[in-house]
Amino acid sequence: MTHGRTKMGAMMGAFLTLSTVLSACTASSPKPAGPAAPRIAERTKEQKAELGRQHKTAADLYQALREEAKGGQPLSSAGLPDWSGVYSRPADKGFTFDPDQPDGGLPTAKLTPEYQKKLLKRIEDVKHGIEWDPISTCSPPGMPRWLTEPFLREFVVTPEQTWLINEMVNDVRRVYTDGRPHVAEEDRLPIPDGDSIGFWDGPQLVVHTNQLQAGIYQRSNPDYTNQVETVEIWKKMDDKTMGVDVWVYDPPALVEPWYVKQTYVKLDDPDKNLRIRYWNCGENPNNSVVQTKDGTTQFRDLNFGEKSGAEKGKP
Amino acid sequence: MKRALFTALLGLGAMIMSVPPGFAHHSAAMFEPTKTITVEGVVKEWQLTNPHSWLLVEVTGKDGKPVVWGFEAEGPSTLLRAGIKPSDLKVGTKLTITGRPMKDGQKAAIWVSAVREDGKKLDPAAGFKTK
Repeated sequence: MTHGRTKMGAMMGAFLTLSTVLSACTASSPKPAGPAAPRIAERTKEQKAELGRQHKTAADLYQALREEAKGGQPLSSAGLPDWSGVYSRPADKGFTFDPDQPDGGLPTAKLTPEYQKKLLKRIEDVKHGIEWDPISTCSPPGMPRWLTEPFLREFVVTPEQTWLINEMVNDVRRVYTDGRPHVAEEDRLPIPDGDSIGFWDGPQLVVHTNQLQAGIYQRSNPDYTNQVETVEIWKKMDDKTMGVDVWVYDPPALVEPWYVKQTYVKLDDPDKNLRIRYWNCGENPNNSVVQTKDGTTQFRDLNFGEKSGAEKGKP
Repeated sequence: MKRALFTALLGLGAMIMSVPPGFAHHSAAMFEPTKTITVEGVVKEWQLTNPHSWLLVEVTGKDGKPVVWGFEAEGPSTLLRAGIKPSDLKVGTKLTITGRPMKDGQKAAIWVSAVREDGKKLDPAAGFKTK
């Protein structure tokens, strides 16, 4: 009995000691730190447009935002924002670059006369059934058009890089947040998604992109040149919505920077069916199109016979 | 007959329907903007490919001979977002399908809507909804 009591006492002592140790560990373990508070001021849409006008170049605006953010704050692994999930851009108003473009109205960009004329011709051609999209050859949409495509998207955040992924043509924009500068000016060449560097201001990612290729913002939207540059601020607006402030600078085509707000919605996927899979744009010959003499689009050679289409994807 | 053909119902309409707001990769300029055609037939082949999928439907023409129509839609993931799975349209599946036909008379159309024989509706445009 005495022996049993002693054994019991020893066990209780050990339990209390263990509890004390665990309690002390819990009390001293730092809670995972969330993103710091942003330093860049909240602004209205008009104030954001005005902010763009106050700076002559995208690089100037980016630098001003960096100063406002006091250089930004490096992300730690424990402080990563939750940008998980599969997103897509709402397409209920079509694919216009500016989601606030009025129904039946013109794009909201303030264009130089040359580019306004090009836009009006493009719109007039469409009224006559003539339309050609430069990505019909399977080339990537490129930035800034990248922002408009309505397919699946994922956003992958690490302390030193953020990957902005668009399912279409396996398009990944890498935003370097490790402090590196852009590619040296003498070594730059136009590429579809350009060169993106950024910094974190609390939970929001500020990005400057240069080294872009000429393209169109979207069908029935204006052209941009290979001088186009952008500044973006990416931020989760709520659990379901990613918001992006975008300023586009392109002196040959834009009289003033074009400010637009883009949003992407996190898709409900309770059964986890949605996946971004490899996008082989040229896998089905029935999707091959050509530009006709009058400038519109026609299939190259539809074939629904025994040798038709791709061999893949047959249920 | 395993591949029994449905009687073709070739009806041209001019109603404006719920259609995709645009078409990835290429313009839809080669298709009629508002006219629609509806056919009944069986699935001959489903090419689930990017950037567009093609549903090939075999119908019986007015002369009693089989004719293949191709219906173009978005790629597999957008169709999945519309609730249209690969297993939904196996070869031989009977359906009624509506699309906007080509202007030049080729037997191809943008797939607007379809109803399987068992009543399941297949609306590719729903794949662009964000919810």
